[in-house]
Amino acid sequence: MAEYRETPLAERPKTLDPNEYFNVSLEKRGAEEARAAFRANLKRQYQMQLNNPHRKELIEDPALTNWVQARGNIYPHFRPTQRTSMFGLAFGVVPLFFFYYVFKTTRDWKEERIRSGTDTQKYRLTS
Amino acid sequence: YEELKNGKWLTDLAYFLSALQHSSGMSKDMIPGPYPKTPEERAAAAKKYNLRVEDYEPYPDNGEGFGDYPKLPDKSQHERDPWYNWDHPDLRRNWGEPIHWDFDMLTRNRVDMSPSPVSWSSMCKQLFGFIGFMLFMFYLGEKFPSYQPVAPKQYPYNDLYLERGGDPEKQPEEVKNYEI
Repeated sequence: MAEYRETPLAERPKTLDPNEYFNVSLEKRGAEEARAAFRANLKRQYQMQLNNPHRKELIEDPALTNWVQARGNIYPHFRPTQRTSMFGLAFGVVPLFFFYYVFKTTRDWKEERIRSGTDTQKYRLTS
Repeated sequence: YEELKNGKWLTDLAYFLSALQHSSGMSKDMIPGPYPKTPEERAAAAKKYNLRVEDYEPYPDNGEGFGDYPKLPDKSQHERDPWYNWDHPDLRRNWGEPIHWDFDMLTRNRVDMSPSPVSWSSMCKQLFGFIGFMLFMFYLGEKFPSYQPVAPKQYPYNDLYLERGGDPEKQPEEVKNYEI
């Protein structure tokens, strides 16, 4: 039988994990059962709503609502710490100054070249 | 009227109105709460997100705004079983299943984090090795160009004196393009 070799980015698939079949403790089995119970409950809820002939509206997914609200309401839980301030500076303030200097200096060089007549490129696609 | 007398009647009214407009009430409960500190808060948060209390792990509280949203393992949807009977097969997700924070990045159209057959270091070495080698060779070729020896084109008849409109009476200067 081929021996599956794990590499840093290729983790062992669950079906090839010997721990799934041997060394299965009671706690692990209980945990798996609880998770399966959660999943089955959600499936049942969904199917009941889906196949309900009297349903007229869309089936609302609470997990989706949670996710959308979480992504949209980041500011209420935002706290200015060292890390977040560093991010803010690095992405919000530094690019302004950096690009100002880059553009200014390169265009000043070009201006100098054009004024002194040393500019060799007569035709430019971008200018 | 009791609520109207309360100081936050305006926010309550706002939520009520938004619930009216979105016809999906209880949006106030759906906003993630603050980072859970006590075990009871953790249990309540796990219940809210349909997770087992043992499985529930919030993001570390470093002010980045996650609140009590659970930290799910970074697995892209590419890795999920294609043959299982998902409720939403294109997203490989069941209804009500807690959604990863970066779910829109991990869909099947986008970032694929599934295991690669070759290790990351090997891939990096191969790619950057090749690119680096090619760049280096191009740089050398710029520095030390190598082509057939060339010279300006030599024309006969004294550099085509007559053909270039030279005076047929005058004797042109001799152009010698060779050396014996």
